[in-house]
Amino acid sequence: MLSVLQSEWYKLRKSKITFILFVGPFVGLLIGLLFNLTIEGEINQWYILVLSMNLTYALLFLPLITGVLASTICRYEHQAGGWKQLLAMPVARGKIFLAKYVLLMLLVFVIQLLYLVSIYGVGMIKGYTDPFPIEIIWRGIIGGWVATFPLVALQLWMSILFKSFAAPLTVNVIFTLPAILAINSERFGPFYPWAQPFSMMYVGGNTDDLFFIPWEQLITVVGGSFVLFFLGGYFYFQRKAV
Amino acid sequence: MIGKLVEAEFLKIKRKGFWFLTFLGPFGVIALQMVNYGVRKEYLLRQSDDDWGYFLLNVSSFTPLALVLGIVILTSFMTSIENETNAWKQLVALPVSKWSVYLSKFTVLAGLLLLSTVLLTIFTILYGTVLNLGHDIPYLEIIKYSFYPYLAALPVLALQLWIATVSHNQSIPITAGVLGVIFTYSAHILPDWMIWKWPSLMNDWNEPVINVFLGIGVGCLLYIIGMFDFIRRDVK
Repeated sequence: MLSVLQSEWYKLRKSKITFILFVGPFVGLLIGLLFNLTIEGEINQWYILVLSMNLTYALLFLPLITGVLASTICRYEHQAGGWKQLLAMPVARGKIFLAKYVLLMLLVFVIQLLYLVSIYGVGMIKGYTDPFPIEIIWRGIIGGWVATFPLVALQLWMSILFKSFAAPLTVNVIFTLPAILAINSERFGPFYPWAQPFSMMYVGGNTDDLFFIPWEQLITVVGGSFVLFFLGGYFYFQRKAV
Repeated sequence: MIGKLVEAEFLKIKRKGFWFLTFLGPFGVIALQMVNYGVRKEYLLRQSDDDWGYFLLNVSSFTPLALVLGIVILTSFMTSIENETNAWKQLVALPVSKWSVYLSKFTVLAGLLLLSTVLLTIFTILYGTVLNLGHDIPYLEIIKYSFYPYLAALPVLALQLWIATVSHNQSIPITAGVLGVIFTYSAHILPDWMIWKWPSLMNDWNEPVINVFLGIGVGCLLYIIGMFDFIRRDVK
């Protein structure tokens, strides 16, 4: 399994992947620096900063970039019969799928870490004196990461299905844009998988549980859609004609 | 010659979902408002006395986003026809000039987006009528809110086509496109000189028509730069 993962990484290393990874913190920095919202009062300055940065980052950027990563990870195989060569080797298809998925999730985690750095960077540049609420922000970073599990699974499925980059992106966009409306709705927001990265990074939310959304919501919406998309992609790949 | 090439491009995009996407963009913008008004129509109508104006405001908050996304997706699709099969060589080996190849691609894309814009105008009027927003339909305003963003987005189209045709790896134009979408979404905090702000029709002078002229001017400029870069480059 480890060797499959390693070979996936070799293929990806020179695919301009660092460029994609660094777009995330760049977006964070830019929005954080351009956004000038000052609320006088007892609220920790970091909260306002993180809330305003997340509004763009978690709602649009994170779901969209996971799709780009998923397409990039399948690019090598879509070119000139790469699937044939890869699958002719003595490795199980399930392992390849799993390796691609695990690598994607690691990359998304790197993006989340870089985003954390950019939050801290913006605060330093602006000269914030309030204590850095490290625990709360960590929970948001991890929560946002967990919320992308089902999204990445669907995008990997779509990227294996379609040859071009544009088609998986279209699917991604069709599901991501309604999240802008969904987060405003108390009735539909909690059930919409593409709104979960925002909800799980919403640092002002429910603070009793480990994450910022209730456990039932995490398990049913995020967990449920993850199982659906992951198995869908897994079984599609098992039967895919190459 | 251009006519023939455009015809050829239209043949190439057959059955690839281009027409569906052209329809889906404007339909999606209105569909989001169908959901919005479907869920809380009473509340939204109470927000303003000018029901048509408020409806247009809601529609136009998604128009730039859909437009830029549409540009990113269509340009990438357009160049992937040649990219996926390494057909650039064959295409430029034909007795046609490189600039006319580039121009025909741009023409087809601009044409498809123009069709989207026309559809958006029609859908806006239709759904507004369905909502019963009143008899004085502000046709001029509706046309303005559909066509101004289109013209103001031309630089983004020229830029994306340039990046998409010259990069071998399609993740570059797509990532650049996602970045552009993020810029468009945060238009209200961007400085005026950024091209991604223009489709939102916002500027310091409160004069949307400035964005239109800027869009056409800078669009032409970026188109020419992109075209010359495409001509200069070796085809892989």
